[in-house]
Amino acid sequence: MALASRFTKPVIVDEISTPICISCKRSIPPYEKAVAFLCPNCGKYVIWRCRRCRVAGVPYRCPVCGFEGP
Amino acid sequence: MSSYDYEGSEEVKQESSMIAKYAAVELLVPIDMYLSAGVHIGTYSSNKYIEKYVFRVRNDGLYILDVRKIDERIRVAARFIARYEPQKVVAVGGKPYSFRPVEMFARFTGAKAVLGRFIPGTFTNPYLTTYVEPEIVIISDPRVDTQALTEAIEMGIPTVAFVSTDTKPSGIDLIIPGNNKGRKSLALLYYLLTRQVLRERGLLAPNQDLGVSVEEFETKLTTVV
Ligand SMILES: [Zn+2]
Ligand SMILES: [Zn+2]
Repeated sequence: MALASRFTKPVIVDEISTPICISCKRSIPPYEKAVAFLCPNCGKYVIWRCRRCRVAGVPYRCPVCGFEGP
Repeated sequence: MSSYDYEGSEEVKQESSMIAKYAAVELLVPIDMYLSAGVHIGTYSSNKYIEKYVFRVRNDGLYILDVRKIDERIRVAARFIARYEPQKVVAVGGKPYSFRPVEMFARFTGAKAVLGRFIPGTFTNPYLTTYVEPEIVIISDPRVDTQALTEAIEMGIPTVAFVSTDTKPSGIDLIIPGNNKGRKSLALLYYLLTRQVLRERGLLAPNQDLGVSVEEFETKLTTVV
């Protein structure tokens, strides 16, 4: 039964679920080693930084509390 | 300029304009304590990323960091670190002056300390005996702890780093500005971070002290070869 249901209910990966880099707004492909963490200041927003923005030190801003990193 | 005394001469500790500006501001420790440890002593270079933490540039070109901004970032970093399980926090210290501060931070907060030469693969190669899987990494000096930083980027692990004016924040997710070269400065920065993490976790009351002095966080001069 469990096996059958696994095949009858495929997991749909919605494009909307792809994380977006907070700095460059680019969607981050699953194979990219980006980073995700809760806003260091308020802990209420998941901040995604793409690898390129992270390595370049591009600033980010938390939309909840306005904290500016890094 | 590499011979500059990062412990701070008496002259550099007398930041009267900073003392006056923050006289009414409540800091984690009195401003005199920050200044006498030399946490505000930057370097002779700067970059656009670190500019916002600079208080002033001396006539001789030495960048002076803003103690209030250091204080604020220690608080933010502590909130950030406190959200992770203690054993999932790894603090890295590659050079001798960071050994004791990092070791004490780890001992008090339950984090893991990685001291001395960072074995390549420590974060990336599960076959190594030294392999660890941190969920957050604390870097004492990005210019020294380069391998740890590279591997944290490679693995997508969030990073917090002590950053002086000579450093670009490449791969760093949260900067704590500060003098990461001086012995006393590293001791005070880690002491305050330790205390603040424990306060955030509710293991210390909001104004409670660690129970050991800052000196206990200092690498003793005799142990440095
Ligand atoms: Zn980006
Ligand atoms: Zn926030």
